[in-house]
Amino acid sequence: MCGIVGCIGRGNDTVDVLMGGLRSLEYRGYDSAGIALGPSMNVLRQSGELDALTEVVDTNDPTGTYGIGHTRWSTHGPPTDRNAHPHTDENGRVAVVHNGIIENYAELKNDLEAAGVTFSSDTDTEVVPHLIAQALNDGDDPELAFHNTVDRLQGSYAIAAIIDGEETIFAARQGSPLVIGVGDNCTYLASDVPAFVEHTRDVIFLEDGQRVHANTDSYTILNDDREPVEVSVETVSYTAEETGKSGYDHYMLKEIHEQPTALRQCFSGRGDALDGTITLEEIDEIPQPDAVQFVACGTSYHAALYGASILREMGIPAEAYLASEYALSPPPLSLGTLVVGITQSGETADTLAALRDAQSRGVTTLALTNTVNSTAARECDHAVYIRAGPEIGVAATKTFSSQLVGCNLLAEELVEGQRDLRPLIESLRGLPDDVQSILDSSAAESLVEDYVDSDGYFFIGRGTNVAVALEGALKCKEISYEHAEGFPAGELKHGPLALVTSDTPVFAIVTGDDERAQKTLGNIKEVQARGAPVIAVTDGESAAEEIADETLMIPETNERAAPVLANVQLQLFSYYLADALGQPIDKPRNLAKSVTVE
Amino acid sequence: MPPIPADDNDPPSSAVVLAAGEGIRLRPLTANRPKPMLPAGARPILEYVLNALIDTGINDIHLVVGYQAKRVRSHFGPTYRDVPITYHTQANQLGSGHALLQARDGLDGTFLLVNGDQIIDTRIVEAVSSSHTETTATLAIVEGQNAVDYGAVRLDGDRVTELIEQPITGDFRLFNAGVYAFSQQIFETLETLSVERGELPLTAAIQQLIEDGDHAVGGVRTDHFWMDATHPWDLLTLTRELLSRGWVDDPPGDDTTHVADSARVHPDATLVGPVVIDSDAVIEAGAIVGPYVAVGASATIGAGAVLRDTVVDTDTTIGPNTTASEAVVGQGCELGANLTVAGGPATVVLDEDVHRNVALGGVIADRVEIGGGATLEPGALIGPEATIGHGVVVHGRIDGGSEVVR
Repeated sequence: MCGIVGCIGRGNDTVDVLMGGLRSLEYRGYDSAGIALGPSMNVLRQSGELDALTEVVDTNDPTGTYGIGHTRWSTHGPPTDRNAHPHTDENGRVAVVHNGIIENYAELKNDLEAAGVTFSSDTDTEVVPHLIAQALNDGDDPELAFHNTVDRLQGSYAIAAIIDGEETIFAARQGSPLVIGVGDNCTYLASDVPAFVEHTRDVIFLEDGQRVHANTDSYTILNDDREPVEVSVETVSYTAEETGKSGYDHYMLKEIHEQPTALRQCFSGRGDALDGTITLEEIDEIPQPDAVQFVACGTSYHAALYGASILREMGIPAEAYLASEYALSPPPLSLGTLVVGITQSGETADTLAALRDAQSRGVTTLALTNTVNSTAARECDHAVYIRAGPEIGVAATKTFSSQLVGCNLLAEELVEGQRDLRPLIESLRGLPDDVQSILDSSAAESLVEDYVDSDGYFFIGRGTNVAVALEGALKCKEISYEHAEGFPAGELKHGPLALVTSDTPVFAIVTGDDERAQKTLGNIKEVQARGAPVIAVTDGESAAEEIADETLMIPETNERAAPVLANVQLQLFSYYLADALGQPIDKPRNLAKSVTVE
Repeated sequence: MPPIPADDNDPPSSAVVLAAGEGIRLRPLTANRPKPMLPAGARPILEYVLNALIDTGINDIHLVVGYQAKRVRSHFGPTYRDVPITYHTQANQLGSGHALLQARDGLDGTFLLVNGDQIIDTRIVEAVSSSHTETTATLAIVEGQNAVDYGAVRLDGDRVTELIEQPITGDFRLFNAGVYAFSQQIFETLETLSVERGELPLTAAIQQLIEDGDHAVGGVRTDHFWMDATHPWDLLTLTRELLSRGWVDDPPGDDTTHVADSARVHPDATLVGPVVIDSDAVIEAGAIVGPYVAVGASATIGAGAVLRDTVVDTDTTIGPNTTASEAVVGQGCELGANLTVAGGPATVVLDEDVHRNVALGGVIADRVEIGGGATLEPGALIGPEATIGHGVVVHGRIDGGSEVVR
């Protein structure tokens, strides 16, 4: 996934607008960055984080009155200068930025090479400027050359191009996000709204297949038959500043500390403590499904495991699937099945593909997402928002917590029948303060000092705490770069126990004091017998506190809410571990916030 | 966008807010948060301060944070009401002058400075802002007796001629209200002073300006509302004042009953204005809430409870049939059924000072759990995370984290 920006009509401010836009899209990729400016057709690009490009821009002081820009997360070709966007044709007449994957690029590249074109990068993107140049050589005007080229592309893309001698930005969307910002006598385009929200809040969310001609004082949206279409301009409400760091060292720590607010917002107005009911107005009319299939990736997949688990306990057949597997090996489903995609950004390509597959098989789909108007929200039959607010840190924290609450709301709304939900409502309403009490008093930071030099970190749990164990391990590995694995506690002895030594601390999530907790205590003894130190994440109801070598305490609550609290302790441990190791917490290597390629 | 450096004739567009202090005399309420985050009505004091600044036209806010800074950062985030906030950390609380120095890098031209722990009428800010034209420093001056914290003032026309640090009450009637406008000169003057006995107060720098003689220090007299919380029971007075004035930003029901849209009030509950119920709070059947009660976000008032002159902070649950008068209850408490807090007057000992005739039923700090049928004798103070068993009669002070059984 990458981020693209463009603007026209801003005169000499163009470079500043593009660089500011790239800065707010950095969460989408930071392997390399570049800009192209018209009418000069000046192209500057640089591997490394955006700061590297900023230096190049400061040195060269390029001029231009319109332009496009790109921040890259590598899919085709390593993150080098030559693979940085924008890409150009051989003569520098065409410059192109692209987010997505062009699936038929090998074939197109062969054709172009056969025609004598020399490629200067390893990217799939580079076929686009060459194709446009070829069309220009064949006598097409710039507009025709752009459309004829886009017609030949297969795959997913958001593309923006400028062509020498034409004061226009051409753009097209197919499967990757692209939004237009409408200003006073100027037009912006970007992968995501934050890139231009400080300039305008009037936004057009493009649909797949739509194309754009943006001129200095006007813009035209066309369909893939090149006919102008009417589109609605929406006003978005959030401000640019909502994405600052508030003085925290990292977005991740800021977002961990925002969880009480995020959880409060997620639950607000959705549970009635007086009559013991939970209502999600947006899906009030959905009948109880025969079965539920969750599709998701990464952290959202762990939320899906939790969601499926609680639905099963309520008697609804439910399974969580990794979205990248689902579309290619779809499980059987009946027409009464509801397919729920969990995606923070609403743009995760694998999840979108899985949802589209489900839709093509005629079942109802629902997006559980943080992003209003995202592709998932628009394409699914229903959308439920988790209201966590913007999350910038690549490692998901507050959105996971809000997804777990969202799963509870979803399950209670979907499953019919009279239940007294007061105990659940009480525990969900209590989550903000319970999380706050962990933030006020967590021992995670001091624990890091003792375990920072470990060989690896293991996380175990049972029931809904399996999701917490997997998420704890994912968080740990993605930001600390240390080896970490999560397992259902009972699986340890079937293999992974071979990895356990006195240098591999084991985090055991033990909440409540039911059979699952008791059995997990047995697993704790199992690893202690192999010399591993055990850190219990526990509410103190079982004997875990006495047995374990260390404890991370969470407040007592019910079994639905406890995983949220246990996870907060693990977030803090991973954060302070990564910090102690000096890792770039908000921008872990090779990762991007939301992955919009399959 | 950085603020445009102010021309010296423009009213200040930047403001510094001091929010680093713990508020030692407000313990045990400040165990987890600094004094500016304590509740006045249903919101933190600091929200009212920022509202007053923004309503005056301030578009650039600098918060100096220190003690429990994360609470401030997480509550306000990078912006408040679309105005950007820059955070400056004061690692050690060495006085207001030292606090201001932490924000120096973010400030150009003239600026305002206010304390984050006192409620001020917007008109005081406006008065200081608009009269800071030919002076190096401008202070709001109030008439009264309760402003000893910031010192007494001698005024000659609209010029301050002396600041008296620890005045003997009765000898003076004009006091410094802690609302200032400054020019950049204040930083240079502050740097000529040193921290003495752990303190570098702003007032020392202002006194220095006066003594230097080349700088004019202006004083603006005002009789608009101004109030500081020094002791825990002052939160009750603050709430009473705010509710009486209708300074509540939740949507008003009738003139004096403010209930947030997302709050749930049982049809059989009775609200007696003035009262404020914040978002997602729940008032169960038969409860009688008010007058002068503030119920924070997501708090629950149990069936049949009777509350008056009471502040209930966020996420706290008050058990059924509780009677509470003149009580301050912190965040995340779980109070069992039939608690009795009968109200003052009380004799309260705080840091070896004896306060007599205080209108205080009791103070319950954050995350206290109290079993059913307990009673607080007037003036009881319960520290954070204490656990009080069923039927206990609490007298005097209970330390944080302790467990009391009958």
